[in-house]
Amino acid sequence: MNTFEASVEKLCSASIKDYINPYSYLEWPEKIDTEQWSTTPELISLYGTPFYDGLSTAEQQRLSFYEAINFFSLNIHGEKSLIEGLAQRLYRKGNDLVSPYIHHFLDEENKHMIYFGGFCVRYAGKVYPDRKMVFTREYEPGEDDFMFFGKVLIFEEIVDVYNKRMAKDERLAPIVRQINFLHHRDESRHLAFGRLLVKNMYERYSDVWSMDTRERISEYLKNYLQATWKEYYNPAAYKDAGLKDAFDVQEQALQMQATRKHRAEVSAGCIRFLTENGILLEQPQL
Amino acid sequence: MKTESEIRQTLREWIVRTSGKIRAEELDDDTPIIERRIISSLQLTDLILMLERLSDSPIDIEMLKPGVFRDINTIYRNFFEPARA
Repeated sequence: MNTFEASVEKLCSASIKDYINPYSYLEWPEKIDTEQWSTTPELISLYGTPFYDGLSTAEQQRLSFYEAINFFSLNIHGEKSLIEGLAQRLYRKGNDLVSPYIHHFLDEENKHMIYFGGFCVRYAGKVYPDRKMVFTREYEPGEDDFMFFGKVLIFEEIVDVYNKRMAKDERLAPIVRQINFLHHRDESRHLAFGRLLVKNMYERYSDVWSMDTRERISEYLKNYLQATWKEYYNPAAYKDAGLKDAFDVQEQALQMQATRKHRAEVSAGCIRFLTENGILLEQPQL
Repeated sequence: MKTESEIRQTLREWIVRTSGKIRAEELDDDTPIIERRIISSLQLTDLILMLERLSDSPIDIEMLKPGVFRDINTIYRNFFEPARA
C-alpha cells in the first residue's frame, strides 16, 4: 500500500469514527437574538473600515448576524457544487483509490448543508442566492478534474480559517459556535484529502500539460480566489443589516487596506501550498 | 433608474474595464461577450452584481434562461425592459 492509499484509508476510518446523526446532534434555539455576536467581529467583512467603526455595538451585532447568513449561504452554494462534482467522479475510471472516501465526503457535505440551511431558514427565513456560473469548454486530459479539486481546496481552506476561529469564540451564540465546530471537524479531513489529491494530480499531469495549460490553470485559480473573496462582501447582507448605499460599501470596502490585509492573512496558507507546489505561478493580488 | 442609453453606456464601460481583452471602439451592443470569452465565468459574478445595482432588484440565477448574457442588447432586453414595460 503506497502513502496516498494509506492516507485515504486513514481518512475513511476517521470519518466512520466521527459519524453523527445531523438531525439529533444539534439543539436549535427557537430564535436568535440579532443583538449578540453571530460572526467573530474581527472576521466581519467590514471590520477595520470606517463603515464598521461608524456603527454602534448593536448595529455591528446585527451586521454580524447577516454576515453569518452570508457565510452559511456561501457554504451551501459551495457544497452544492461540490456534491455535484463529487457524485460525477464517484467510481469514475481512475478514481478507484479515492471512491471510498468520496462516499464519506458526500455524506459529510450533505450534513453541513443541513446545519447551514437549518440556520439560515430558521433564523433569517432565507438563503442568499448564488451568483456563480460555470461555462463549459474543452479541457486537456485531467485538467477538468484538477480544476475542480483545486477550486474545492481554495474554497474550503478559506472557510476553515473562519470555522476554526468561530468555533472557539465564546462571544458567539452557542449554535453558531457548534455549527462552525462541526464543520471544522469534518473539513480538517477534507482539507487533508484535498491537499493530498491536488498535489498528487498535479504531479501526475503537469508533465503532460503544455506551459500554456499550466498558465491557464494558474490564472484561473488566481481569479477564482479573488472571486471567492468578493462573495464575502455581499451588498444584500449589508442592506439587510440596515447599511445605506450597500453597493458602494461593497465596492469601497474591497479596496481598503484593512480588508486587503485580512484577505491576505486568511489566504496565506492556501496560497503558500499552491505556490510551493508550482500550481500558482504568481502571487494573487487580493 | 437610468435611461436606456445610460444603462447601455455603463454596461459598455464596465465590460471594457473588466475584460481587458477588448477596446471600447471594438465593442458593439451585439458583440457576443460570453462566446468570444470577453467576459469569463468568474467575471460574470461581478456583472450580475452590477446588474442588480443598476436595476435595483436582486437576480436569481436559477431562474435565468441560457443566453441572457450574450451581448449588451440581450442583457438590456432581459434585465431592464421588463421593468419599463
